[in-house]
Amino acid sequence: MTSIDVRAEGGGVVLVPSGRLTVVTAPQLRETVANQLVSGQQLIVVDLSSTEFVDSSGLGALVSCLKSARQAGGDLRIVAPTEQVSMVLRMTNLDRILQPRASVDDALRG
Amino acid sequence: MSAFAHREVDVPATLYSIETVQIEFDTWWNELGEQKPETRFAFELAVVEIATNIVEHTHRAEGTSGRRFHLELDADETSITAQFADNGLPSNIDLSTVTMSDVEAEGGRGLALAIAALHSLEYRFEDGRNIWTLVCLR
Repeated sequence: MTSIDVRAEGGGVVLVPSGRLTVVTAPQLRETVANQLVSGQQLIVVDLSSTEFVDSSGLGALVSCLKSARQAGGDLRIVAPTEQVSMVLRMTNLDRILQPRASVDDALRG
Repeated sequence: MSAFAHREVDVPATLYSIETVQIEFDTWWNELGEQKPETRFAFELAVVEIATNIVEHTHRAEGTSGRRFHLELDADETSITAQFADNGLPSNIDLSTVTMSDVEAEGGRGLALAIAALHSLEYRFEDGRNIWTLVCLR
């Protein structure tokens, strides 16, 4: 992963991780989400349209961040996963708890 | 483009070597000229999961000092193959017992994903080296 862009939008915060989300870069996502929750953000939207590759460590980070958001009384929603990410979500059945939204607007609306 | 592209990489058993493996994989895949994205997605995923397993096992078991792994990527007309060899302690893994973690779990999916992504995954300890062989049919 080369970067995670962060922006506030529509009552939530939108994170856009770009590049690869693997064991090398997953801690960066966990830290970014943790910082947002600590600062009071409750609705975390992870826009995966620029995430070209995810592995089990990246999935683990998403599950961990989802739990943290819900424990804080909020939620984490994912948006527009690329083909590779969609495949891995299906293989692990994680698309059941991380149901992808088509757009950031959809995710912010619920 | 070649149906028989070959690539080798020899790296320290550290997390940052996984980035190196993916860069080498990119180059090899481009040389191979394979067209099916689903084949790439599956095979690259398995390669990354096994590389991660090697690095994490090495780190847990003995530390990473002096530990390296070697990866060879090959293809023929019918299959694509990755072989890892590392000089770490033997892995205590029974691949026949690996299952996919529950959706609530934060970890434990790596080997299950690799097995699901591949035609075959084999592990053996031979001449002081852990050998992993990954095969996808083309």
